[in-house]
Amino acid sequence: MNTRKLFITLFALVVSMIPLSAFAHKESDAYLTLRTDTTNNHVMHGQWDIALRDLDYAIGLDSRHDGAITWGEVKAQRKVIEDYALSRLQVKGDGLTCAMQPTGQKIDEHTDGAYAVILFDAVCDKNIPSKLTVVYRLMYDLDPYHRGIVTIHAGDKIAGTVLGPANPVASLNLREPERWGEFKSFVTDGIWHIWTGIDHILFLLSLLLPAVLIRRRLQPRGDGWRASAALAETSGALMALTTQPPRYRWEASPRFWPACLDVIKVVSAFSLSHSVTLSLAVLGIVHLPDRLVESGIALSVMVAALNNIYPVVHKRVWLIAFAFGFIHGLGFASALAGLQLPAGAMAASLGGFSVGVEIGQEAIVLAFLPVAYMLRKTWFYQVVLLRWGSLLIIALAAGWLMQRAFNILIPGFSAIIPN
Amino acid sequence: MNDPHEGTVDEVRRSSRCVVLRFFLFLLLLLPITLVAQTPRDAPYIPATDSVVLQLVPPRTDPRVRQFDQLRSDLSAHPQDAAKAVLLAIAYVDYGRSTGDARYLGRAMAVIQPFMATPSPPVSVMLVHATIQQSRHFFQASRDELTQILKRDPGNVQALLTLATVAMVQGDHALANKLCVDLTNDAGNFMGMICSASLRSLSGQGAQANALFSYVEDPGPKAPPAISAWIEGLMADNAARMGLADQADVHFKKALQQTPGDNFLLADYGEFLIDHGRAKEAVDLVDGDTQSDTSFLVLVTAEKALGLPKAKTDMAEMDARFQSMDQRGDHVFMREEASYLLHVEHSPKAALDLATQNWQVQRAPKDVRVYLEAALATNDPAAATPVLDFIDSTHLNDVSINPLVAQLHVLQAAAPSMTSATKRNSP
Repeated sequence: MNTRKLFITLFALVVSMIPLSAFAHKESDAYLTLRTDTTNNHVMHGQWDIALRDLDYAIGLDSRHDGAITWGEVKAQRKVIEDYALSRLQVKGDGLTCAMQPTGQKIDEHTDGAYAVILFDAVCDKNIPSKLTVVYRLMYDLDPYHRGIVTIHAGDKIAGTVLGPANPVASLNLREPERWGEFKSFVTDGIWHIWTGIDHILFLLSLLLPAVLIRRRLQPRGDGWRASAALAETSGALMALTTQPPRYRWEASPRFWPACLDVIKVVSAFSLSHSVTLSLAVLGIVHLPDRLVESGIALSVMVAALNNIYPVVHKRVWLIAFAFGFIHGLGFASALAGLQLPAGAMAASLGGFSVGVEIGQEAIVLAFLPVAYMLRKTWFYQVVLLRWGSLLIIALAAGWLMQRAFNILIPGFSAIIPN
Repeated sequence: MNDPHEGTVDEVRRSSRCVVLRFFLFLLLLLPITLVAQTPRDAPYIPATDSVVLQLVPPRTDPRVRQFDQLRSDLSAHPQDAAKAVLLAIAYVDYGRSTGDARYLGRAMAVIQPFMATPSPPVSVMLVHATIQQSRHFFQASRDELTQILKRDPGNVQALLTLATVAMVQGDHALANKLCVDLTNDAGNFMGMICSASLRSLSGQGAQANALFSYVEDPGPKAPPAISAWIEGLMADNAARMGLADQADVHFKKALQQTPGDNFLLADYGEFLIDHGRAKEAVDLVDGDTQSDTSFLVLVTAEKALGLPKAKTDMAEMDARFQSMDQRGDHVFMREEASYLLHVEHSPKAALDLATQNWQVQRAPKDVRVYLEAALATNDPAAATPVLDFIDSTHLNDVSINPLVAQLHVLQAAAPSMTSATKRNSP
């Protein structure tokens, strides 16, 4: 028998003793507990007990190599332990992201030895949702039989699961899904999306700026012209065909209510069309590439502002709002998709987000209209805001269009204007 | 094994704050009574001084640990080399076996996992994989894999012996017998004899088994002590089955001389001592090894048998250990837990449920015994039918089992209708 064969034979003999009885020590476990906070809905308090034996194997705790891990050795490695463990844990759900911040270090005795206790806070960017997803990757490359015993205490409800390298992700229901709470959270997301989405705001403002004004033609013409002008207004195609730009001047709208009515028409048309595409996209019926959608939004801002310089459409500005609303709706949808919709809460999230977008939009209008109405007669409004402002918006939108359509970065442009 | 609290206790004593110590001990006695169901028994704490020893781990002075380091660096220098991975994995499995620390099975598995992920893993990698599956009591998975290996490499000695062991644990004596014959042909008399002797010991041919074992009892001075310890252990079990307690005791002692502190031997000998009314000796045997779950189980059982006051505290500890095993969702300890439920907790119904589940996985004599004991304790002879049939077909002969069989036959004869009803209903 050669050496190799002898070795294999001896190994076979040694290992075949095993099944007669169970192993004396259980395999590797860790205990992860998360507790919601009664006063702060953005925070969960965590405690993670990890066996010193496992940490020693993973990162080496026994720095003196004497076979005895002391409290001094564990304390000295606190930062290393926390970095090792906390980078292998994620808590998420409904677009929630949480930062793990260590808060303390202790020791606990479990049935199979001493464990390092990592105390930490999961500090999240939103309220903790009713359904929480835990991604657990401790020891995933070192021990496939490691198990993380996860317990979540949410008020008086306790949810638990066992995770491990082969099965690292679980979603836990912390409480009966609180649809109203989720709805409110998505309303906030919707409001913020429109307030921070400067392209949506500029589109709306470009359309609203002329609402408090009336365009007066300087050389009135016959009835036949008026009919074709009406056609031009609806189609917007005449601009290119007209050899001579129409001569006109802006006048302040004499009364508030007609101006207000114009605003309401624009806003309602925009809401109607963007709601349609937002819903269709979220339900997965319509899908357009992001690049096309974002370029289209930039184009819509450009067209809306151009219309203030070379007016083609005036009385029926709502048509522009309606037509381009479809593309803005697709933009909202991709923002909503980034928030990871909870399955089963589609209606609450979609409805909430739409309502949020409307509220955000209405708030802009409510802030704009009184100020615009008061300033409408001034040179500042008619020239600086309307003409120069529109020119500036055209320039910005042209920049976005270039960036988004050709997927390039214009140096310096992004630094001035985000988005 | 050092108590992690030892340092703390010493300091308290040194500063002669005995009142505090007594109060602490008093609380310690109360704790298991009030918090039986709680798994993390104590709240997390901050140790008093930096020098407190919290956990013992294998020291660098241990040659086996230095061997791990060597093999690990060999593997990391050649991460694609399956042979180097196999060597490291075997070293982990071997260390895990001798210390009883199942963590090393996981570490071994992690080492070979990249090679298992390839479309056709090398036979040597599959063998380690099958061995780990067997050690974790995934007998069927191990059996399937070993069958695959033998298709690719019919004369593989390790695969033959491991599969024979699995077949014996599963109670498939026909397969085990065929493998023992193959083993004799492929690996010579030594291996074949151990295989045949083990099988005979399980088939009511104890005297023949003993004769075969005695041929190989002395494997020569070059053999590692683990080999002779293993053979002595098998001889001890065989003698105990035949009712030769004195002989069994001699073999156990010889085995423990070869590998002192071996976890599997300690548990096996401890159970033997308790069986023979020597619970006091069982306590002394395992008293220094309470970190081990198998040794601690022997300790608790012996304390309970002796009616020691300490039994109550230790039972709470044992409950906590079983609970933390259950939390993982693994059920490797079913036979041991069934026996504990029956003899220590006196919950025969729960014990029978667990013994029935365990029977689906393993069918060694100890599995037979706990099943029959539970069936008797619940006065449910019909439940024992599949096990009695198994004994009939394998001719298992064991002095700790024979009286149970006789009692169950009497009970079954007394209530024949119940038995036949169950027989009809059973799959």
